[in-house]
Amino acid sequence: MVSRHPWLAEGILEYIRRYELLSRGAESELYLGLFLGQRVVFKLRRRKKYMDPMLDRKIRRTRTFKEARIILQAYKGGVATPRLFGFYPSLYLLVLEYIPGKRMKDVIEESSDLKLITLLSRNAGYQLGLLHSSGIVHGDTTTSNFILYRDRLYVIDFGLSDFSKSVEDRAVDLHLFRRSIESTHAKYSDIMYSSFLEGYRERMGSIAEEIIEKAEEIRLRGRYIEERRTVWRDI
Amino acid sequence: MENAATQNSSRNDNDTIILGIESTAHTFGVGIVSSSKPFILADIRKRYTPEKGGILPREVAQYFSTVASDAIHEAFTVSGLSPKDLNAVAVALGPGMGPALRVGATVARALSSHLKIPLIAVNHAIAHIEIARFLTGLKDPIVLYVSGGNTTVTAYNHGAYRVFGETLDIALGNLQDTFAREVGLAPPYIRDGRHVIDHCADNGSFLEDLPYVVKGQDVSFSGLLTASVRKYEKSPSLLPDICYTLREIAYSSVVEVTERGLAHLGKKQVIVTGGVAASDFLNEKVEIMAKSHNASFIRIPKKYAGDNGVMIALTGLLMYRHGIGFTEPSKAFIKQRWRLDKVPVPWYPDTLG
Repeated sequence: MVSRHPWLAEGILEYIRRYELLSRGAESELYLGLFLGQRVVFKLRRRKKYMDPMLDRKIRRTRTFKEARIILQAYKGGVATPRLFGFYPSLYLLVLEYIPGKRMKDVIEESSDLKLITLLSRNAGYQLGLLHSSGIVHGDTTTSNFILYRDRLYVIDFGLSDFSKSVEDRAVDLHLFRRSIESTHAKYSDIMYSSFLEGYRERMGSIAEEIIEKAEEIRLRGRYIEERRTVWRDI
Repeated sequence: MENAATQNSSRNDNDTIILGIESTAHTFGVGIVSSSKPFILADIRKRYTPEKGGILPREVAQYFSTVASDAIHEAFTVSGLSPKDLNAVAVALGPGMGPALRVGATVARALSSHLKIPLIAVNHAIAHIEIARFLTGLKDPIVLYVSGGNTTVTAYNHGAYRVFGETLDIALGNLQDTFAREVGLAPPYIRDGRHVIDHCADNGSFLEDLPYVVKGQDVSFSGLLTASVRKYEKSPSLLPDICYTLREIAYSSVVEVTERGLAHLGKKQVIVTGGVAASDFLNEKVEIMAKSHNASFIRIPKKYAGDNGVMIALTGLLMYRHGIGFTEPSKAFIKQRWRLDKVPVPWYPDTLG
């Protein structure tokens, strides 16, 4: 109905935009508001002005739809994730439970407590294990996408997630996490990655090894990796 | 020529002067850079263009070895300098094509041993970043490095440029060139300063069914290439639309990854460098993206987007000042897959000037 009445869509979005803006990311705007009496986050996918409007709408619609289905399935699988209260693909809008915590990235940047950093990384690995066992790959496993609230580490932003049980796709998640810590927390990246894998193994059990090995292979697949074998002998 | 010579006669003897050699791909470049204004004293380029098909490493190397001595000679003539004015010779030892790299390395080894000056081993990707930082004055940026063989989003963190995102398969330039070749648009790949894909896309519009692949911080183009070629084989009349869509998807996806990097790393500046940075279409996209995040963006001059010797000399000079990269000529081996995150960058965020 909304898509047939653009003025209605605009009205709803305008109403939401009056709420407090929590963050404006690369992908979307998050507003803290009320929905059926609950404190919620309105996740609104922003228009990317640098894209052709048709490509932009296609990407936003697909990502909103998919994100909704994925959050539901993850929640069922026991992953610590915000609950989904509503979704409106034609508005590129999701209504999500509000988690009033702090990004793992910020916690680590502000802390030099190695014990905490290890614990968080281990937890992130465990949560990713839960997600993978639910048949989902996250697709954007940076430390910005884990939120610490009370004693739980929540997984957020399923914008690039997919339904998949393939070793390759799961390994990409490990690889992305590793690269993200190497680029943002270079000082702690080794200890963080090994704790992360510990937590991951704890949930995934014996099948974890194959995935970890694959992640290593993906790392070496990037162009111009020194360790990669070459047909030319370096003279 | 005379002009440059007079200018340089007022040159301060305390200046550091570096000659840089570039030979990683299609261009044999020789640049001379000085530590004080006007900084760039010579910029000689010999570009190899195949008559048909793609670039074959052996043919490039053959071409390079015939033009190398002329290029060096011209650089001295243009700058009004003589070999004894040089403090060091810098050379791109990688990443790139082995046979091509070997020509530059051989010339550099010879100059270094003959003139008894240090040889400085420069990473080609770092040089692209350094020249962009120098020319734009944006000293702490997120960098989109796109060329025929590279597609990387990178930014400085803890002593080195770290890779935030990259292509999982082929590079953006390679995607364009290969598609153009497959459907008979190229070679030549560039017409009137624009890529043939740009010309072809002028009358096109968006097609719904070509794949857009961004996996987290990485892009992938091989699926897009296959789907585009197949689409063309099925309906050749759609070629302008396919060109338009292929370009739209490929460029949007690298800009999206850059955008993610910008948001994740909290940088406030954006630069684009490498051969594809000459594209107006790409620069417009990045400009819009940067604006929406209140980040600064400045284009690098088209001339310095592609490979050149100046960027190697410039980076060599920064390394010379910090005493790194000095290599025995007998040990100056090429490194075809030399990753940029393996290189320490102690001068950051300073640049020349």
